[in-house]
Parts: sequence; structure tokens; C-alpha cells
Amino acid sequence: MRSPFSLKQEFLKKWILGLQRCRSSKKNMSIFERKKVIKLSADVAMASARKGTTCWSRALIADAVKEGNADKHLAEKILGPASERQPTEKVPVGAMAYNKRIRSKKILKRSSVIRRTIKFAPQAARPSSIVKTLVGKRRQILRSLIPGGEFMNGVSLIEETLDYIISLRAQVDVMRSLASASKLVNLN
Amino acid sequence: MSGRRSGSGVSSISDDQITHLVFKLQQLIPELCARRSHKASASKVLQETCDYIRNLHKEVEDLSDRLSQLLASIDTDNDQAAIVRSLLM
Repeated sequence: MRSPFSLKQEFLKKWILGLQRCRSSKKNMSIFERKKVIKLSADVAMASARKGTTCWSRALIADAVKEGNADKHLAEKILGPASERQPTEKVPVGAMAYNKRIRSKKILKRSSVIRRTIKFAPQAARPSSIVKTLVGKRRQILRSLIPGGEFMNGVSLIEETLDYIISLRAQVDVMRSLASASKLVNLN
Repeated sequence: MSGRRSGSGVSSISDDQITHLVFKLQQLIPELCARRSHKASASKVLQETCDYIRNLHKEVEDLSDRLSQLLASIDTDNDQAAIVRSLLM
């Protein structure tokens, strides 16, 4: 079981790295810009701390660098040079890499969902009472809350939710610590 | 119909799996943590999960706001990072 402390340290390390990568434009940044950088680098750091092992983390990063995303360039800056990024599958580095990566990630996600659904197919044919609660509005809401949730189902949805909540909590704890630490430092 | 007999065996396994996972979720959520002794209904757990995730998202937003005011520059210098690391150890 991953220790929560090492997760926080991993997150902090990656977050600061991402922030430093945006350092060059800090001088003229508005508060709004700063907030965007802080939040985005925190989200990306949280996702990359998982090293591509979970669906939501891959989806989060894929969405961040998706074509048409307003903050795509910011996200790419934060993630750093492609050679340093956590590979989720072997892709050629280059201009076409992003599109290919996103497409192959989607295929990978879909195939893993299919694999899981096939495994539990008999159950899906006759939903039990527990599984029944997983259909309908609440499941839709849960899926909308988790990055990449639209591709998840049943058991994998709950597993991803568990991991996502643990990561979110670590993220919030570290950010809160930094906020109190900053207050202390500023007061001095 | 009789051919589906083995199917029910598989579905009860995954039923247990899901029950177990839902229970793990319950333990994570502070609202439901107090009820550790007995399991909350799956739908209640899901509902609280959604609320909890939304709360966490909001906290991240608020903390990002606070941090953007507190951090005069994006350059979180070594002092602050060292303090946070020691807080986490």
C-alpha cells in the first residue's frame, strides 16, 4: 500500500518543479494567471505522481494537453520536455506525438474497460442490488467528477474513485501546508 | 436457464468485490467515517462520495486563490519548500 507521506512528497516535488518551469513569465503575471499556474501545476503534479498507473491520472494529463484546450501550452510547459514525461505507452517524440498519444490513450482506456466488462459480463446481464445503485444518475455524476470517468464502469469506477480521493486529499493537505508555511514566512 | 448456473457464482463474487470497495469508500469519507461499525447503504456512500469530491475540488480552488495571493512570485523559494517538507515528514 502506498504510504500517504511518500505520495505527498512526490506530489510536492513535482508541483514545485512544475512551478519553477513557469518561472520565466512570473514577473508580469496577474493574480489570475498565478492562480491558474498554481492550480494547473498542482493537478498535473498529482496526476503524474501516479506515474500513469491509474486511468484518471492519464486522463487528467491527456485533457490538459488536448488540442483546443486554452491552457495547453501552459500544461506542456509544466510537464516539461517530452523526454522527461512519464510514458504511458511507447510513442514517438515529436509534433504528432500529442495527437497520437491522446488517441492511443483513448484506445488503451477503451480496451481496458472492455477487458474488465468481459470479465464481469455474466454479472452485467443480471445486475445485483449493489450494482443497481451504480447505474443511473449517481453514477453519471460520479463519472463526471472524475477525470476520464466517462470511460469507466463498475468496479474500475470505484477503484479509480478511491485512488482519486486519496490523491485529492494529499494534494489538499500539501497545498494547505504550503499556505500556512507561506503565511508564517510572510509574517516574519 | 440451467446453463446460467455458473453465471450466478461469478456475479456474487463481483458483488462482494463491489460491496468491499464501497465499504473502503465509506472509510475514506469523513461524513461516513463515524459509522465505521456498520455499513452505510451503497447509494448513500455514492452520494457522499460525490459531495466529498466536489468539496475537495472547491478546496483546491480556494487554496489556489490563497496561494496566488500569498506567493508573491511563482518561485516558491527553498525556505518555504523546506518548511513544508519538514511539516510532511
